[in-house]
Amino acid sequence: MQPPELVEVRRGPLLLAGVDDGAELRAHRERVGPLPAVDLARLVDVVGGAAVRGRGGAGFPLARKLATVAGTRGRRPSRRPVVVVNAAEGEPASAKDEALVRVAPHLVLDGAEVTARALGVGEVHVVTSQDRPAVGTAVDVAVAERAGRGLRWTHHRAEGRFVAGQASAVLQLMAGRPGLPVTSWAPAARSGHRGRPTLLSNAESWAHLAAVVLHGPAAYAASGTPDEPGTSLLTLTEPPGPTGRVACARVVEVGHGSRAATVLGPGALVSPLLVGGFHGGWVHPREVPHLTVSAHHLRSLGLSFGAGTWISLPEGSCPVTETARITSYLAAESAGRCGPCRHGLPALADEVRGLAEGADTRRRLRELAGLVTGRGACAHPDGTARLVATLLDRLEDLVEDHLLGLCGGEPCRTAPLAVAR
Amino acid sequence: MSSPLLWYLNRGTGVVLLVVFTLTVLLGILATHRSTSTWWPRFVSQGLHRTLAALSVLLLVGHAATAVVDEYVDIRWWQAVVPGGAEYERLWMACGAIALDLTAVVVATSLARSRLSHRAWSVIHLTTYLAWLAGVVHGIGMGTDASTPWLTAVTAACVAAVALAATIRLLAVARTRRRRLPGPPEDDWALVVAGRGERP
Amino acid sequence: MTRRVGDDRRRLRVDWPECRARGLCAELLPELLVLDEWGYPRVLGPVDPDRTDLAREAVAACPRRALHLVSG
Repeated sequence: MQPPELVEVRRGPLLLAGVDDGAELRAHRERVGPLPAVDLARLVDVVGGAAVRGRGGAGFPLARKLATVAGTRGRRPSRRPVVVVNAAEGEPASAKDEALVRVAPHLVLDGAEVTARALGVGEVHVVTSQDRPAVGTAVDVAVAERAGRGLRWTHHRAEGRFVAGQASAVLQLMAGRPGLPVTSWAPAARSGHRGRPTLLSNAESWAHLAAVVLHGPAAYAASGTPDEPGTSLLTLTEPPGPTGRVACARVVEVGHGSRAATVLGPGALVSPLLVGGFHGGWVHPREVPHLTVSAHHLRSLGLSFGAGTWISLPEGSCPVTETARITSYLAAESAGRCGPCRHGLPALADEVRGLAEGADTRRRLRELAGLVTGRGACAHPDGTARLVATLLDRLEDLVEDHLLGLCGGEPCRTAPLAVAR
Repeated sequence: MSSPLLWYLNRGTGVVLLVVFTLTVLLGILATHRSTSTWWPRFVSQGLHRTLAALSVLLLVGHAATAVVDEYVDIRWWQAVVPGGAEYERLWMACGAIALDLTAVVVATSLARSRLSHRAWSVIHLTTYLAWLAGVVHGIGMGTDASTPWLTAVTAACVAAVALAATIRLLAVARTRRRRLPGPPEDDWALVVAGRGERP
Repeated sequence: MTRRVGDDRRRLRVDWPECRARGLCAELLPELLVLDEWGYPRVLGPVDPDRTDLAREAVAACPRRALHLVSG
């Protein structure tokens, strides 16, 4: 499945403030000023105070990751830290990293640079996906503009696979091995690239760090809530069409705590919504208007913010059929290394297809979801199982309707799945 | 020191080593076989393989030691580990030394297995076949009892057994490589027929 | 998951990319390891101190060294 054909980016308060100014370094500097040098302790302080969380999907507090790297580093070669910007956006429906890197690359690179200097590191690694060549080009151009400042930028290109953006997969790629996940016995911040303490974070996370440093904590906290200062990027989109490609994805920057109604269109407010992308969870139409853009709030609802991709179903679509399509895709995207994932995901996808075709496979679905969860080197099977579980749990009435041949009170307009071979 | 006892011990350890080493190799191959039964679980094959391997090492050390200690023939201790260093029956002694060297490396790597990558351990472990073959050739070439009917029969049986088992193993490996792993359907599932509302 | 202070229980962890469903681990420690429908081990619970020796045997038995005994 390909990334979105068209990405619309709307101007935002912090990260996307410079959308109209162009991506060049000069324009960026004019808007935000020079990049200050910040010592490590102050950096940890400031990032922690702003409660910046990772935006790659796991939502791990960035300050804690930074502190771990700082604490583990040493003089020996095996203890020198590594800084990695992960812009390999594996989720095809997501476009926020692509948008950010193409529109504000220097904000991302500023974040990595100020941290690298604070850690005493002379090299920054940037990872992009071959699937999104425009992102790779944007990185090359931006890096070239920053040459001659005593920092070496190494650009790695990952294969266009769903799992290629996973942290251990990125580390494998950097080590010259196939970019596929492996079992991680210690967090990357303690032992990552070549066993060295590695600060690997999502491109948007670096941009938030830069925003806090450049604008100051007070300005950063002008958006959001006291508990969750700042903003997040969201990708708002619909499921891929018959071509297997998302036609248009909109990327918006939203202050934490904003209500769903301020970002979603009227149609999306009454349809099932997939929060968190393909590894996320379904939200029932009656609950959608009450959602807020807040990791805390979503967690209290049993959902995860993930990488901030919200997929709403257009009218006439069926969540069961869409889940069948997505799980088929996810099964095909398994790296094929871990037995439970390699066997379990295709079986899971089969059963969801069966459900879409009218067979009540729910018991088997729950069994399979339980069998694949937690039994892989990465969270690919877990995320897929979670998607299916939320379909069964949160859209229970819609699933029942579908099994009766109705969808939303009308005969389901989605024809039985005929997989072209 | 020289005595018929040492000579008999040398011959005896050699013959028993041939059989025990062959059994070790066979059990090693059996341990990789997929299927298992209630009466012969996999850990039995593995456990027996390891035990017989240990026994082989003892027999091998005994065999080499008795040859060196026995002064009837002049074999220095270093000639047991350096192939080609012996003056007495240089070629067949070289085979024996190769067998001993390879066995030593295989056993050492197996004992230190947790420190090695699986791939490295596996490649080294494969040289056991060579060690076994070198030992068989050594026995045929310079074994005192090599020409006797009973030992000829035993040797033939050992060679046949390992040849058969190794062939089966090779075929199984080739079949696994050729067989496609279950799972990822290669076609584009997105080409699914579906009715859809108008896209805004 | 909460960790009790002074909790020295170990647990079994599978290195999934290495596991090839050989099944020796489950043969040796059926109380803690059962095979799923595809032959891969499922860890049923943590390793009690009196089962540590058996767990170590299971770890040593894995031909791919895919089973590990970790603390916590």
